[in-house]
Amino acid sequence: MAKISSFFKSFLLLELLKGMAVTGKHFFAHKVTVQYPDEKTPQSFRFRGLHAQRRYPNGEERCIACKLCEAVCPALAIKIEVAEREDGSRRTTQYDIDLTKCIFCGFCEESCPVDAIVETRVFEYHGEKRGDLYYTKPMLLAVGDKHEAQIAKDRAADAKYR
Amino acid sequence: MLSEQIQAKIERELVKYPADQRQSAVMAALRFVQDEKGWIANDDMADIAAYLGMPQMAVYEVATFYHMYNLKPMGKFTLTVCTNLSCQLCGSDDTLAYLKQKLGIGIGEITPDGKFGVREGECMGACVDAPMFTINNKKLCGRLTPQKIDQILADLEGGQA
Amino acid sequence: MIKIEIDGKLIETENGVTVIEAAHQAGIAIPHFCYHKKLSIAANCRMCLVQVEKAPKPLPACATSVAEGMKVYTHSAQAVKAQKGVMEFLLINHPLDCPICDQGGECMLQDISVGYGGVASRYHEEKRAVLGKDIGPLVSAEEMSRCINCTRCVRFGQEIAGMMELGQAFRGEHAEIMSFVSGTVDSELSGNMIDLCPVGALTSKPFRYKARSWELSRRRSVSAHDSLGTSLAVQTKSNRVLRVLPIENDDINECWLSDKDRFAYEGLNSAERLTKPMIKQDGKWHEVEWQTALEFVANGLRHLANGAGAAHIGALATANSTLEEMYLLQKLVRGLGSNNVDFRLRQTDFSGDGKQQGTPWLGMSIADISRADRLLIVGSFLRKDHPLLAARIRRAVKNGAQVNIIHSADDDLLMNVANKAIVAPDALLETLNQVARDVAAQKDVGIAASLRSGERVAVLLGNFAQQHPQAAQLQAAAQQIAAATNGKFGFFGEAANSVGGYLANAVPGTQGLNAAAMLETPRKAYLLLNVEPELDCANPQQAMAAMHTADLVVSLSAYKHHALEYADVLLPIAPFTETSGTFVSTEGRVQSFKGAVKPLGEARPAWKVLRVLGNLLKVAGFEYDTSEAVRDEALHGMDVAARLDNGIGAVEAKPYAGQGGLQRVSDVPIYATDAVVRRSAPLQATTDASMPRVWMRSEELGKLGVQPGTTVRVSQGGASVALAAALDDRLPKGVVRVAAGHAATAALGAMFGTITLERA
Repeated sequence: MAKISSFFKSFLLLELLKGMAVTGKHFFAHKVTVQYPDEKTPQSFRFRGLHAQRRYPNGEERCIACKLCEAVCPALAIKIEVAEREDGSRRTTQYDIDLTKCIFCGFCEESCPVDAIVETRVFEYHGEKRGDLYYTKPMLLAVGDKHEAQIAKDRAADAKYR
Repeated sequence: MLSEQIQAKIERELVKYPADQRQSAVMAALRFVQDEKGWIANDDMADIAAYLGMPQMAVYEVATFYHMYNLKPMGKFTLTVCTNLSCQLCGSDDTLAYLKQKLGIGIGEITPDGKFGVREGECMGACVDAPMFTINNKKLCGRLTPQKIDQILADLEGGQA
Repeated sequence: MIKIEIDGKLIETENGVTVIEAAHQAGIAIPHFCYHKKLSIAANCRMCLVQVEKAPKPLPACATSVAEGMKVYTHSAQAVKAQKGVMEFLLINHPLDCPICDQGGECMLQDISVGYGGVASRYHEEKRAVLGKDIGPLVSAEEMSRCINCTRCVRFGQEIAGMMELGQAFRGEHAEIMSFVSGTVDSELSGNMIDLCPVGALTSKPFRYKARSWELSRRRSVSAHDSLGTSLAVQTKSNRVLRVLPIENDDINECWLSDKDRFAYEGLNSAERLTKPMIKQDGKWHEVEWQTALEFVANGLRHLANGAGAAHIGALATANSTLEEMYLLQKLVRGLGSNNVDFRLRQTDFSGDGKQQGTPWLGMSIADISRADRLLIVGSFLRKDHPLLAARIRRAVKNGAQVNIIHSADDDLLMNVANKAIVAPDALLETLNQVARDVAAQKDVGIAASLRSGERVAVLLGNFAQQHPQAAQLQAAAQQIAAATNGKFGFFGEAANSVGGYLANAVPGTQGLNAAAMLETPRKAYLLLNVEPELDCANPQQAMAAMHTADLVVSLSAYKHHALEYADVLLPIAPFTETSGTFVSTEGRVQSFKGAVKPLGEARPAWKVLRVLGNLLKVAGFEYDTSEAVRDEALHGMDVAARLDNGIGAVEAKPYAGQGGLQRVSDVPIYATDAVVRRSAPLQATTDASMPRVWMRSEELGKLGVQPGTTVRVSQGGASVALAAALDDRLPKGVVRVAAGHAATAALGAMFGTITLERA
């Protein structure tokens, strides 16, 4: 019996038609593939990409070297050294994030009492040498300076949920 | 150095307390200094501390705790205006404003001739006479009106404190 | 004993204790800020409010005594509401600056607000601000807005330190903790206020912003800077000592720590640290490898031992070297055939040697000092030499003990002194002998009367008495007094290992030369262990002369210092935080410790250096792998307790007279006692470390025709220095006080002797 059924199925090309039906359905359906890099997917304001250090509008860096991000970082990717600046304020002398260790969990951002360390929407960065992804304080501040408008907008959008 | 009169007064005060409790006389000693000089300087507190054998800081604690000790020079006549509730309801705000305007000084200030100073004070326990002020923490003047204030000030000017 | 119930738990406790004490005994936590078990009760923070059955309102547990059948609830609705309310009030004016606060992570307010506080504050008005104060180089009071006015620091000053330097001025919302006219806090125990402060108002200035508490690793250690044997926690990060805290030990330091122990660590990271072995060749210093340096030393010593004789080798160690170091030093020198080894560098009278019945020590346990009811303290700058013992005695005095003083300077001990005899150094012995005679004759006069009326008498000889030219006779007199009053007598040890030096046998015995003799008749070679001769010896002039004439001076030191001038080899050794070792405290407590960090640069533990030197010199028995092996050999078969004995046989009478001129009285300033302390910048910035002055009575000032502050020329032993004159009318007549152990006075001669003054 099974033999007969199989004979007719293959004779009438039923499998082929089934397959073509799937192809046909997708051929006319709405397209979901994004043509990266010409097109990009939408991002949440909570997107966790490249880290940045922020400044206040007057140019003063926000980070006060409380070391909470260093303490909370599960990947031990953050290293901070601290000293008293001439004006008596507490500042970092070193603030490094090793992005090869970072797992982009966002805990640093969450623990920061002054919104100094943030994760931006930037995910298209690369390093050519091993050390290139070891971000130091000037690099992080530069990222922040470049994307401050977007960062501020995202923080504002997230504010009511925090 | 404490003057001889002050020392004599403190000695009289010390008789009231056990010999090993000399610091008990600190409030009186501060009062004597203020009576003599009009205010209590840090040096005076150090002198009192040395005289009574107590830490300088302890004298400072007492002197800053109580409102009636002047820690900066005040006028010859310091008018302390009560601004607590009873006086306020009876118009102490007006009294204070009148005093300020009449003497041309603000709270905690003294007139250029050094005669009058105005301070805010706490309840003097004589609300029946509200509004009121004291002169040098000693003389109570109650039921104040602009006319009465004028009279008091004139008397003080004339030297009949 | 009465029975009470806390949170449904039946507790049996003594009558008279407070609820909080009873709860803590039973292991029930009650939140608190102002309460501290060693301080008086203030009950001003209100955090410990608990519900007590039949009491209409919650009661403060710290100020409520227990009563039979009392039922206490620490977690009832009423108690929790009270705690929450108090917490909310405390936080009203407390700034939310935990992220930059040094106390963050070890803050009582943080912990308790997490445990007992509400979620959010309802207070949206402006917070009060209190200006920061500058109260000296040790304690930072920069952020007084954080203060919750618990007054622990004030009470500590009044009750433990003995001087009320901080107080709470003003009232109500304006109340703030400050010092009188912005003075500095100069107490030698001031650092404890940092520990006591439950918030971040008083913090450590040298530690400011150095690290967060969770980054530090903690190592147990023992104090190297005085003889108490204080238990320390050395906190380190990335191989650097960043902080030193006390470990509570009721038998020794309770929960306190002297500023010297707390802040000396800053000297460990000094730029003066010696990090590579150095040899002087043709008058120039070269950094060399260890092998080269050690072979150089070995050759030099071997050459001398085989040629001129081993007796020309002398070895000196400071009394804060470890037991192992001193043991190996004496073993090495004795192995070479010399007995010239000593650690009692400031002692001048060695006539007691050979007559001592044992190792001089405190003569009682440290806790016994608190229990003594009559004390006679002879020749001690008590507050500066032994800050924590002074605090103990201060408390004993508050509890009714009587303290009697015989000394040559009258410093304020910040306690009531029953009797005191302030006499010139040459009259010290006679004064003590007079007391001995009075006690023996059962006379009730002065000091004798006080001692005779007591049940637990302690006679204690301080550093000054041990350095005195008649030290042995003073000891004999103290022995008589103690025997006649049925009391105990002993010595306040001068340094961390003053007892250990004897146990390690780092003393010359009958054949060798003692420290003074070694310098008086110069040797050809000196081995110096931690010693800075111009600062550590009784007679710096003589010591330096001996160093300059010697052919070979080997300095084992953690620091580059004046040795650069006279030494031939500098061997970098590790200070106590970088080596393992053992200190025997003045009460005979043997305490070993491990290094907290790795030695800096190429510095090595001195016991290893000495071990290798022993091997190179082929001295037998130098095969140690660990410092523990050295210690075990040094103390092998030794009953330390049995060795401790202050008894002394008949000593020859040795006259000491002032010879008519002015007599010198010298103290070693509190922050000049050892190499590490001398290099601690914060300690050197304190008032106690200010430039030495020459203290004299007003007659002397008048004779010179100078005012206090004028520079005068002080001469002794053919050298002179210029120092500022200062007035101290409490000094005995004919006495001038000039500090020793300080670079400014190092050119002068012996710590005792005549001294001349003239206008500069």
